[in-house]
Amino acid sequence: MIITEKKQKEALLQSLKGFDKLFLTACGGCAAKSLTADEKSVKEIMDFLVSNGKTILESAVIESVCDMRLVKKTLSRNENMQKADVVVALSCGAGVQSIESVLKEKNIIPALDSKYIGSTKRIGIYKKFCSVCGSCILDQTQGICPRTRCAKSLVNGPCGGFVNGKCEIDQNTDCAWVLIYEKLKNNGKCQDFLNQYVVPL
Amino acid sequence: MKFKDKLKSNKFLITAELFPPKGTDISFFSKRADCLLNSGVDAVNVTDNQRASMRTSSLAMCKILADKGIEPILQLTARDRNRIALQSDLLGASVLGIENVLILSGDHPKFGDYANAKAVYDLDTIQLIKTTKMLGSGFDLAGKKLCGSPNFCVGAVVNPTAYPNEMQVLMFEKKIKAGAEFFQTQTVFDVEIFKAFYDKVKSFGVKVLAGVMLIKSAKSLSFFQNLPGVTVPKEIQKKIASSSVALKDGIDICAQTIKQLRQFADGVHIMSIGMEELIPEIINKS
Ligand code: SF4
Ligand code: SF4
Repeated sequence: MIITEKKQKEALLQSLKGFDKLFLTACGGCAAKSLTADEKSVKEIMDFLVSNGKTILESAVIESVCDMRLVKKTLSRNENMQKADVVVALSCGAGVQSIESVLKEKNIIPALDSKYIGSTKRIGIYKKFCSVCGSCILDQTQGICPRTRCAKSLVNGPCGGFVNGKCEIDQNTDCAWVLIYEKLKNNGKCQDFLNQYVVPL
Repeated sequence: MKFKDKLKSNKFLITAELFPPKGTDISFFSKRADCLLNSGVDAVNVTDNQRASMRTSSLAMCKILADKGIEPILQLTARDRNRIALQSDLLGASVLGIENVLILSGDHPKFGDYANAKAVYDLDTIQLIKTTKMLGSGFDLAGKKLCGSPNFCVGAVVNPTAYPNEMQVLMFEKKIKAGAEFFQTQTVFDVEIFKAFYDKVKSFGVKVLAGVMLIKSAKSLSFFQNLPGVTVPKEIQKKIASSSVALKDGIDICAQTIKQLRQFADGVHIMSIGMEELIPEIINKS
């Protein structure tokens, strides 16, 4: 799923300067699951905005904001939406833009920062495994993505900086290529690695 | 004889390296370079924004060396340029008479003055080595024909002290397949570690120049020790820590390391970090 983070409250307030009547949208998909647009987060942000003098006309949860059809169905004929000065969107950047493209004439302010596509280990702990490159090479890299998990996105083998299996830029992160190497070795694929060449994207 | 030809000879090769200035005043660089004229050094690397901190371009400084009659090795990292800029710089280097290039991934921006700079890595090291060789065949990466093509002698880097070591051995072979014609290594203080690595790769017949560092002081030693992938033997640590003449001991350690390497290795790459005037002495003592 898309991992999002809440924007700093003060920064959000700053971008809402001059807008009084707000319409809040919260995504019930990834953002709700990663606890940036769940019920508690929506309430927290509403309380904050109200205490700073804003009027919230409505807050709507949309199951997946990235589905423009759903956005259209929920928002295009909504009366409160017609009255609102601005839409505050608790969703990823794609969600913000699906709202924008449905409600062309409305101002829209994102309340979240989109970070990456992550897999959930447990709530709050996400692993960045894929950077949606458009040309998957996991078949050649033992199921471990060096485009994403190597700090230099080296796709044909490691740099010389790994120390005891950890990446040169962070001693707490495994070097993706050492992980790949361990599997190559165990699966008897080192020769295949030598002969394979991943072309530039 | 050119560096490229010396690689085919039995000569024990010695390279050094210079950092470009941070700014437009090249007088210090020039003075360091002059110390290396007729010093027994076969070629001199110029670093490419090392430690991911901005400096004057390696390409410009290589040209300064070439004009002095010193054979330059252009260091080119994959970190800062996309494939268009990399190829363009390579062609530019060739036009300026630079014939040797060392391809490396480069220190991650996180280590430098611009921690948030975009780490480009549009090509990785293997792809960049191949691209450099491809330009030599008269075509660019897009398959377009060049009018006039470069003829680079391409070097690559390997770290004999990285663990798991087998992965570096595999990379050594993979870089040769991609077109690497010589190697320079990360700093080795422990000759035994280098020898163990060298024994695994010497059958490929491609020259490996072991990286040796001049220890200038206890402070500089502790800096090296904190670099990724550098191991310093206990005796050296002790000697420098308790020494009142650390630089003199540093010179001796460096010369001694080279002497040991002369017994079996193909050559050395001396990193003297701004003290190039000491290189002739180090070479004489080794
Ligand atoms: S190679 Fe990596 S970034 Fe590309 S699609 Fe596969 S997992 Fe995602
Ligand atoms: S240490 Fe490993 S993960 Fe880190 S940049 Fe080098 S190859 Fe990539």
